[in-house]
Amino acid sequence: MSRSVSTRAAILDRIRAASSASPAEIPAACAALPRNYGRHGQISANARIALLIERLREYDAEVAECAPGEIVQAIARVIESSGRRALVAPPGLPREWLVSACNWKIDDYLTHDEIEYAEGVVTGATCAIAESGTIVLHHTPAEGRRVLSLLPDWHLCVLRASQVVETLPEYFQRCGSPPALATFISGPSATADIEMTRIKGVHGPRFLNVLIVHDIVTN
Amino acid sequence: MSHPVLDPRVAPPFPVAALPVLRNPQLRKNVAHATDVIQAKRARLVAEKADWQALRDSGAAIRDHVLDNLAHYLEQFEERCTAAGGVVHWAGDAAEARTLILNILREERADEVIKIKTMTSAEIQLNPFLGENGIAAHETDLAEIILQLGQDEPSHIVVPALHVNRSQVREIFARTMGLPDLSDDPQALTAAARAYLRKMFLTVPTAISGANFLIAETGSVVVVESEGNGRMCLTLPRTMITLAGIEKVLPRYQDLEVMLQVLARSATGERMNPYTSVWTGVTAGDGPQRFHVVLLDNGRTGILRSRRERQTLRCIRCAACMNACPVYRQTGGHAYGSVYPGPIGAILTPQLMNLEYAQSLPYASSLCGACYEVCPVKINIPEILIDLRAAVTERERAEERRFFDPMYVGLRMANKVFASASRFRAAQRMARLALRPFTGKDGWIRRLPGYASRWTMSRDLRGVPQQTFREWWAERNRKAMR
Amino acid sequence: MRASLFITCYNDTLFPETGQAVVRLLERLGVEVEFRPAQTCCGQMHANTGFRGEAFSLAKQFVRLYADAEAVVIPSSSCVAMVRDQYPHLLAELGTDALRREFETLLPRVHELSEFLVDVLQVEDVGAYFPHRVTYHASCHGLRALELGDRPLRLLNHVRGLELATLENLDRCCGFGGTFSVKNAEVSSAMLSAKLQDVLATRAEFCTALDNSCLIHLGGALHREYAPMRTIHMAEILASTQDAPAEMV
Repeated sequence: MSRSVSTRAAILDRIRAASSASPAEIPAACAALPRNYGRHGQISANARIALLIERLREYDAEVAECAPGEIVQAIARVIESSGRRALVAPPGLPREWLVSACNWKIDDYLTHDEIEYAEGVVTGATCAIAESGTIVLHHTPAEGRRVLSLLPDWHLCVLRASQVVETLPEYFQRCGSPPALATFISGPSATADIEMTRIKGVHGPRFLNVLIVHDIVTN
Repeated sequence: MSHPVLDPRVAPPFPVAALPVLRNPQLRKNVAHATDVIQAKRARLVAEKADWQALRDSGAAIRDHVLDNLAHYLEQFEERCTAAGGVVHWAGDAAEARTLILNILREERADEVIKIKTMTSAEIQLNPFLGENGIAAHETDLAEIILQLGQDEPSHIVVPALHVNRSQVREIFARTMGLPDLSDDPQALTAAARAYLRKMFLTVPTAISGANFLIAETGSVVVVESEGNGRMCLTLPRTMITLAGIEKVLPRYQDLEVMLQVLARSATGERMNPYTSVWTGVTAGDGPQRFHVVLLDNGRTGILRSRRERQTLRCIRCAACMNACPVYRQTGGHAYGSVYPGPIGAILTPQLMNLEYAQSLPYASSLCGACYEVCPVKINIPEILIDLRAAVTERERAEERRFFDPMYVGLRMANKVFASASRFRAAQRMARLALRPFTGKDGWIRRLPGYASRWTMSRDLRGVPQQTFREWWAERNRKAMR
Repeated sequence: MRASLFITCYNDTLFPETGQAVVRLLERLGVEVEFRPAQTCCGQMHANTGFRGEAFSLAKQFVRLYADAEAVVIPSSSCVAMVRDQYPHLLAELGTDALRREFETLLPRVHELSEFLVDVLQVEDVGAYFPHRVTYHASCHGLRALELGDRPLRLLNHVRGLELATLENLDRCCGFGGTFSVKNAEVSSAMLSAKLQDVLATRAEFCTALDNSCLIHLGGALHREYAPMRTIHMAEILASTQDAPAEMV
């Protein structure tokens, strides 16, 4: 124990000996760092959604769209065409989304084995970044614990158009205070470790479905 | 092929270590193919990113700012991580880090661990140490499994098994997983790995990870990956230990907006890698309930001391430099004798060892600058290579080693010669005379003796012309004046 | 305009025809060329191998020698890069304030050949004639350290009779790297072998570059292989005219 303490002190001493900056100036120095990269989207909301869909499809994610009043029907359609019935859902998912054709298990600290036996999971999301086709989960009650969107082989993510931004910096601007947990998903899992051939579906859900709810009124 | 040695203290010098690789066409083909693929993908994505240079500028600035204020940010990270339920440990060197991790594992009564790929754990030679102490360390990254089961060593920091082709992988998996009918189709190989690991993910309660970044503002850890084995290891077990070099810290969560944009494009030629995970300490009911961070120095504070060399620590381990390097392309990673190969390895490895080892690495470069051109945080690798060469030379001169090394003798002589034009002219005449016996009738030299035979091993040399430029100029002037 | 030619130690000794071509070319363009005989070497070989003190003494020599020159022209990108990128560090570390000031006023007057032609003389058509198939290799120092960009190609495009063959992997290092070519001779040769594949695939008669350092390495291998291709410094192509064609040495 005391060894670690003295090591800590020694390391910090060595670091301080090599620096000259005064602690009071650090926040100002950080704020003054150059940031001339793109921090705002350039394209319209429609173009943003179209770009997101294009990028998702490049990753072989399946994409469906619907109007706000048709969410439940759209979810039902997507699940039905997947042929899956035994699904898990996070506790904060809207109740009406738990379509009757399926056997639902709501996550109330399900065991890993119970989740492992599920055929799929439905979650919401916090944000999506069109440029890279990335979906961001903060693991809120509507998105579920991390294990929920990890073990099942099939993941349906319900995303509102208003949650979509064009660039990564815009996601961080929207963040407010940083989340304790976050998972950035850019397509189903993949590896290129064997001869650089991109193979989908190593671990994590091999099938990613995204339902985009058009909740923005655009011209 | 003999087992590669990735310990700088015992690895052969680069020119020697490169020889067996140069004689292995399959290996060179594998390396060339892999680096060409990533380079091409990277180039396409960089071309479409109008603010690429601005991102590099910010990346370099943010990393420099952290290094300038490293103590502050590490203490902030420690405070926030601890407040969120994590336990932060500090390790001065590899031995301390190994012992710290072993002690934690002993407290957990762990006899096995699952690991997310981390070069830092290879740097401290963790797996063999755990093995000696009765703890099996199971790699879960596909490349790392290929290497572990194949009893091989990583040759690249992002695609560690890039030197292995599909039929070699098939052979390894068929033998070690008991799958004699396994095909060499990458899809089948990947499926075999998935099945092999699934049970392990669900049952092994202790995991070890590295960190791509540590966030000071929040005390969070960030892991960037492609396969999902990282998510498995950081979500399912009861206990997580994260090993991270002290230089991995970023000031704020928002700084990821720069780093994530440059990292995936540089490392794998993608706009974004499949999975990035961020977690902070312990979250009740979600993921490991016991979380430790081991912060590792192991020579990094030494690098901080030099104003010009400290840019080495900006590195975000993207490996774009080795993908671009024409030397690496011919030799692959094992020739560098370190878990950090390629251009970054050539500057990081000797510095981590305080220049006592790996002294041949700064010379393992033609100084072409391709690495600097692609580095997302603008590390001026050629400049540092030259500085390190100067430092190595100073050491050797102080220790009076290599006094009679033909290269050193030649350079010392050359300097005396260059000090005066008349001496230089005399030396030119001497060179002409000395090389005449080796010069054929066509005016070319095919073989030179001694050290100079290293030139003629693969190249001819045109003989020294009868008249130097300055002799021609002097003659022209004399003619003009008549 | 008066230009002072810094021939470089290796061009002086091994490639005098390159220096002669530079003189012919510049005089044809109306430039008065002078040659200061006190010149020897820029010190790059020493700096890149770790002999800092020795490199510094050569740097000092260079700065003193050209302090009053109107322009210094150097037909070698790596030597110009040495002056631009490394002299500042050497002088900061080992020089006096006075020397550093001298250097700072000299630096803008130091030019690589293609820079001098395109930026200072503002000419791209130098009146050259060279009726051959030629491929151009971009030396690393010229490409990355000096950022010569398309200046060399613009000059070559105006050479009458010249057929330009594009080199694949144009920006990949040939493997010379100075002392690297002997310290790491095998790796250097492997890089050379790879480069040669691309060079020979152009079916050009000549491989040209702005640096004889790359060309001595490429040319040495072409000769060893009995390849139907030779190397030639770009100065010699640009100096070549119908009346006075380049001498095939």
